[in-house]
Parts: sequence; structure tokens; C-alpha cells
Amino acid sequence: MTFQNRNKFCYFKENGITIIDYKDIKLLRRFVNDQGKIMPRRVTGTSAKMHRKLVRAIKRARSIALMPYIERGNE
Amino acid sequence: MSFYETLYIVDPNLENKVLEKTIDEIGKELEKTKAKIINHRLWGKKKLAYQIDRQKYGSYIIIQFEGGDQGKMYDYDTWMRLNNTVLRHMTVLLDEKPEVYVEEKEPQKNETSTDTNRDNEKISKQGSESSDKNGSSNSENKEEKSGSDLKESSKEVKD
Repeated sequence: MTFQNRNKFCYFKENGITIIDYKDIKLLRRFVNDQGKIMPRRVTGTSAKMHRKLVRAIKRARSIALMPYIERGNE
Repeated sequence: MSFYETLYIVDPNLENKVLEKTIDEIGKELEKTKAKIINHRLWGKKKLAYQIDRQKYGSYIIIQFEGGDQGKMYDYDTWMRLNNTVLRHMTVLLDEKPEVYVEEKEPQKNETSTDTNRDNEKISKQGSESSDKNGSSNSENKEEKSGSDLKESSKEVKD
């Protein structure tokens, strides 16, 4: 049995994004799981530099109620 | 001088006149800090990710400005916090100079629409119709015009 190597890549480097806007919820949603937790770098493949910016953007979005701190299944 | 952005949420049930008045008030308060306001616009009514003061929806308003006295900015921040009409606010440092926001005209968009983004348009129209019932047609229209990214994001927030 061979392991299939899925190439991970940094979404931001690939698309030439240097500034992450905390208001761009569609983008930020990609990097949180269904509970609203920020996904680790080892899963998303984001570069360290952009991951730091991403985390800051997500936390800002949370504090202004654009994104949830925790997401529950059914409300 | 650095550029900053304040995003604040006000009660969505305010009448248009009252809303304009509060926006004016906040603009004046900010000008006391000698800040130059570049943009001050309604971003739109959105569903909050969690309830604030038992509100499920909120009108988001963006101010982008340059500079301001450091000491007075602190007063401004306190004033915003004590202001009861503002549910929540946040000031952040911008990385680059913000562009002056100009409303795009709608008819141009219809002409340039291709087959691929027709579906998107349909969805956005439905979205705006449903929100019209909630009484924020102006803000929705703005969103529709201001690029697909914003449109998409607002849609998700609604969902």
C-alpha cells in the first residue's frame, strides 16, 4: 500500500494575497472547522507568515460578531 | 500619518432619520480628534454571529480615517463605548491607504453579465428581496454593487 501524497500549498501564496481583511468572511470561513475553530497549519498548509495574519483576522472578525466564537450544531 | 478603520454595529431597528443622526454624531465626535475621515458608510444589515444585547441582527457601519491625536483617540474610544446606540465597535490599523468608496451604478452590471455569473446574480437578487422585507434595501443594494466578495460574504453571514 502506498501513501498518496497530497500536495499542500499555501492558499494565500498561490493566489498572491498579502493582506487579509477581517471583513472578508467568505475567505476566513475556509480556515475554520464546523465548530468555528481555527484549523491548524499542518492541516491547511498555510505558510507561517500568512497563518499569523489569518489568525489575527479571524479573531478580529469574532470580536465584532462577524464570525462565531463557537458554533453549535442546531440552534 | 497612519490610517485606521472603525467598524461599529448599531441597532438595526433604528429609523433612517435616527440612523443618519447617529452616524453624523459619531462622525463629529471623531472629527474632534483632528482625524480626516475618508469613508463613512453603511456596510449593511447583517446577522450577528452571536447575540449582542439580545439583538440577532445589526447594522454595520465603517469609518476609514487618517491620523487623529493619540490622547483624544482614547476619549473617542471611551465615548463610543458609553454610547448606547452602538452595540459594539472596533478600531484597527490599516496596512495601506484606503480607497475612497464610490457607489457603482447598477445598469452597467446588467449589461456586462455573462452566463457564468447569472446564477450568482439570481441568488443575490433573491437575497436582496428577502432583506427588503426587513427594511434595509439601501444597504443591500450597496453590497450588491461592491464586488462579488462582499456579496458572497454577506450571504454567508445571513445563512
